[in-house]
Order: sequence, then C-alpha cells, then structure tokens
Amino acid sequence: MSLELVVGLGIVLFAIGAAGFFIRSNTVVLLLCIEVMLNAVNLILAGFSRYLHGMEGQVFIFMIMTVAAAEAAVGLAILVALYRLLKTLDMSRINFLKG
Amino acid sequence: MIESILFWGLALAAVASALSVVALRNPINCVMALLAAMLATAGLYALMGATVVALFQVIVYIGAVLVLFLFVVMLLNIKGPSAGIPHSPAAVAVSAAAVGLTAGMAWLGWKAMNLSILAGPGVGLRPETGVASIALELFGRHLLVFELTSVLLLAAAVGAVLITRKEKDPS
Repeated sequence: MSLELVVGLGIVLFAIGAAGFFIRSNTVVLLLCIEVMLNAVNLILAGFSRYLHGMEGQVFIFMIMTVAAAEAAVGLAILVALYRLLKTLDMSRINFLKG
Repeated sequence: MIESILFWGLALAAVASALSVVALRNPINCVMALLAAMLATAGLYALMGATVVALFQVIVYIGAVLVLFLFVVMLLNIKGPSAGIPHSPAAVAVSAAAVGLTAGMAWLGWKAMNLSILAGPGVGLRPETGVASIALELFGRHLLVFELTSVLLLAAAVGAVLITRKEKDPS
C-alpha cells in the first residue's frame, strides 16, 4: 500500500463526489456528496501522514472533521428551513436567485 | 500480502459505496451508502496506522453526522424516490468536466510534490503514532487552532438554531 495508491483512491473518491454534486438535484444528496469529497481529502491527508511519519496530517483530519460537523449542522438547518418554506428539496425547483 | 488484500477490498468497497451515494434514488439509501463508505474509510485509516482517526471517524462521522442526516431525512418525510441521475448530455459533460478538473489538480499537485522536499519518505522526525503523539501535537503547536474550532462549533450550533427557528408574529 504505497502513497500513490492512497492518493489515487482519494482522487477517485473526490471526482465521484464532485461529479455527483453537479449532476444530482436532491439537496440531501448534495450535502452527502460534500461529505464524500471531505472524506477523500481526509484519506489523502492520512496517507501523507503515514508517508512522512508526522502527526500534522492527522491533526488536520481532526480539524476537517470539526468543520464537516459544523457544515452538516448548518446545511441541514438551511435544508429544514427551505423545506418548510417551499415544501420541496429539488434544486431544479429552487431558483429564486435566478435573474 | 494481507495488507494489500485488505487495502484493495476496502478501496473497492469505498468506491462502490461512493458511486451508490451518487446513483441511488432514495435519499435514505444514499445516507446508508455513505455510511458504508465511511466504514470502509475508517478501515483504511486503521490499516494506515491512524487508529485514533479511525476511531473518531466511527464516533464523530457515523455516530453524529450521519445520524443527524438520517434524522433530518426521516423528519422531513420525503415521499417517494427523488430524481436520480439525469440522462442528458449536459450531465455527462459536467461529470466529465469534474473528473477532468480533479485529475488536472492531482497532476499539478503531483508535479509540485516531486519538486518539493516531500520527495523522500521519512522526512518527519517522529515515527510513532498513537494517542499521546496526537495529543502532544494537538494541544501543543496547534492549541490556538483547536480553541478556534470550538468557537466555530459554537457559532454553527447557534446558527443552526437560529435558522430553523420558526418566525414569530411581530405583534
């Protein structure tokens, strides 16, 4: 299990998350795709932490986990407010910012 | 040998579950697929020797974040499957662009990495892993960042409460 394999796996997961973020229209799935991307970055950081025999990568993983938890809380709060207002979670029907 | 088999198994599980997060129609199934992906990632962390990170992946991500997702999906009671992957040329183009962009960023990062001091293994001085070394790092050099993340979490909690609060009549 070399660094190249771990970074390659992280890149594949990030690409899946990024592509999913752009092609899906359900808001819950969009937040899940963000989590997939954050996980891919965490995986790459863990791979570098192991490769360089340092602890910094794992400390960064903890920070990213904290930010992901905060992001999920605020994102789901926005989602609940949006659903209460519009009764839909379909991004193609939420378009008030469209000019 | 056994390490390689475990790595490939966990990697395949992670990629397959990430693909199902994108492909499945029902949001509950998507959350469950993400749970499988997180478990596979936790296994990869454990395989890489980052046992504390694997532990926190299970406790924080699966135990808190994904349960919150499940809770909200069930609370909103979304009826029926939602729209899946659209079968349009635009969707194919956008996903190809996302994959290409990621590959380009990875190539640039790889080039930069080969140029830098990261080119050789074992640059760091502390080969040991475990709770003690992480705690020394987290509460030593990164203490300010640690304290700032607590402020971030507080702000997120207050913000979430404020956003979901029902508007009261001004009277």
